[in-house]
Amino acid sequence: MSVSELERTKANVSTHELSTCQVNRRTLLAGSAAVAIGVSGWSAIRHALAPRAPVFIARNQSYDSRLERTLHDGLVSVGILPASYQGKRVLLKPNLVEPSRKIPHMTTHPAMILAAAEVFRRAGAEVVVGEGPGHIRDTEMALVESGVAEALHSADLRFADLNYEETRWTKNSGGMCGLAGFHFPRSVVEADLVVSLPKMKTHHWVGVTCAMKNLYGVIPGIKYGWPKNVLHHNGIPQTVYDINASLPKTIGIVDAIECMEGDGPIMGSAKWMGLVLVGTNLAAVDATACRLMDVTPEAVSYLRLAADRLGPIANGRVDQRGEAWESLASSFQVLDKPHLQALRPRPGIKVS
Amino acid sequence: MERWLEEALDGIASQPVCGYYAGQTPASEPTALAAIALAQHGRSSCAHAALDYLRDAQNSDGSVGVRREETQPAWPTALAILAWKLAPDLRYESCARRGENWLLAARGKTMARTSDLGHDTTLVGWPWAAGTHSWIEPTAFAVLALKAIGQSHHPRTREAVRLLVDRQISGGGCNYGNTTCLGQTLLPHIQPTGIALTALAGEADDAGNITASLKWLSESISEMTPTTSLCWALIGLRAHALQLDQSLPWLQTVYQRVRNTDRSPYKTALILLAAANTTSLTSYHDFEKVTSP
Repeated sequence: MSVSELERTKANVSTHELSTCQVNRRTLLAGSAAVAIGVSGWSAIRHALAPRAPVFIARNQSYDSRLERTLHDGLVSVGILPASYQGKRVLLKPNLVEPSRKIPHMTTHPAMILAAAEVFRRAGAEVVVGEGPGHIRDTEMALVESGVAEALHSADLRFADLNYEETRWTKNSGGMCGLAGFHFPRSVVEADLVVSLPKMKTHHWVGVTCAMKNLYGVIPGIKYGWPKNVLHHNGIPQTVYDINASLPKTIGIVDAIECMEGDGPIMGSAKWMGLVLVGTNLAAVDATACRLMDVTPEAVSYLRLAADRLGPIANGRVDQRGEAWESLASSFQVLDKPHLQALRPRPGIKVS
Repeated sequence: MERWLEEALDGIASQPVCGYYAGQTPASEPTALAAIALAQHGRSSCAHAALDYLRDAQNSDGSVGVRREETQPAWPTALAILAWKLAPDLRYESCARRGENWLLAARGKTMARTSDLGHDTTLVGWPWAAGTHSWIEPTAFAVLALKAIGQSHHPRTREAVRLLVDRQISGGGCNYGNTTCLGQTLLPHIQPTGIALTALAGEADDAGNITASLKWLSESISEMTPTTSLCWALIGLRAHALQLDQSLPWLQTVYQRVRNTDRSPYKTALILLAAANTTSLTSYHDFEKVTSP
């Protein structure tokens, strides 16, 4: 982790940053209505207009052949018909930040990647797996150590090395950080759908890493470095927000089967949850992941920024499909550090 | 010369302006490595197209961007200097000199030391991109370039050497450039360790960090090691006079792997560099033994 990563993540998201949020047409219309009706009616209107998003949870999952069925059902339950991607380009983006055979719970399991690929391939989509590992330049090493190389070969799946692909500059649609735009790899820009395929983990700087933060991996190292230090120097929460705001259509499929707790995202311990999450809105997916980990979503800086701008994070605005999260939540260990104190809704398990 | 090596060399010689993968837009790093590999195998005359590409990619301030069409960031500048200095004639001297000026002006960002991070955050090396912290690989490339142009004693080179030594992990090896984070020792990786050790050839280190990293590196590789990591490991070990008997058979294995899979010219150039019968990446230049202050 970089110097600036440390500085930025310790800082709270400021009021000024929150005030620079995008103002969309819906907000303006709602605002006009509020003036007409009066302040007392405003909260009711705001509540009614606030975005909602579905998130599917499946329990009792493992890395076996049933995953494909689970993912298909999950996608359908949140309103995505895989068949609608017939002939379209689907980019699967797993988390292979710094793979090690000794720490398999750090990275997205190959079985998850294969299951997601098969769901879309059966529907006639053109599927590519793409990643730009954040901590290592030898992408072949990342693929071998994670077991993904073998999986890709067995399924005859194409891999896009996002660290070294040609890039296209894309305007920053989020406006939270100081970057005017991002250099996205060609495979990302040309995709009709980017599927964030993360591992559910705690994170030693920002608390939690899941579907939104995983998209740091679409940023090419050749332009931003190893680690992607340009992003850190522009603020992790802000750049997570802006990357998510600037990408083409995204959905999330989360490997929450064997997870990581404690000193994530690299050195943490394995924690078995046996869950899979699917959602059309990454903020809602990540908020649900937080609740499953017994972490307060609003305490995660990038989720606080994303709330009601990129999607809903409030429990009442996430439409749960499949299993309800309440009975599945289990406290994840978090580092006992001052900058992570706010993550817990109540005193929880800490590790020093 | 073994047949597979000749085949690899012919491939690079026929297309030294190359990208990271077959068919990809050319990029400065693989093109520079191709030029260096050709020079180290006595085929400098085939490297002109690559050297010209790097010259055309050079910005007015002397830096070289990641691709001719992408002027920033400019971390490949050091590799371009290395390639130009190996040219068979002096036509790229001014390119190298302008590159040197840029390199000496570029600096990684520092900060006050903190117990959260294990390394000395006040040391200045080189970043991947302007305005960010110093990291292992760009710093090592810069040290190699500065040594190649006779700047071994320059204060920037000396400080960068200290940085590279400081960033070695206690059990040996290094990663992208963090040793410990929030009290946790991080994982070492083969490629950055090989690159750092290449730059640290001839350097004294009383703390034993270099020795520990050499040991870790030599115990971490085999013919199953992925290509670029294996190549940099062999280059790094060789820079410290540690030549493994199995080097060539291993390189032949990974060459066949590359040939049968992604046919990456970048990887092929590195295989050639690792197979070169030279003592270091910049062996055309005689480095004096330098003692760290």
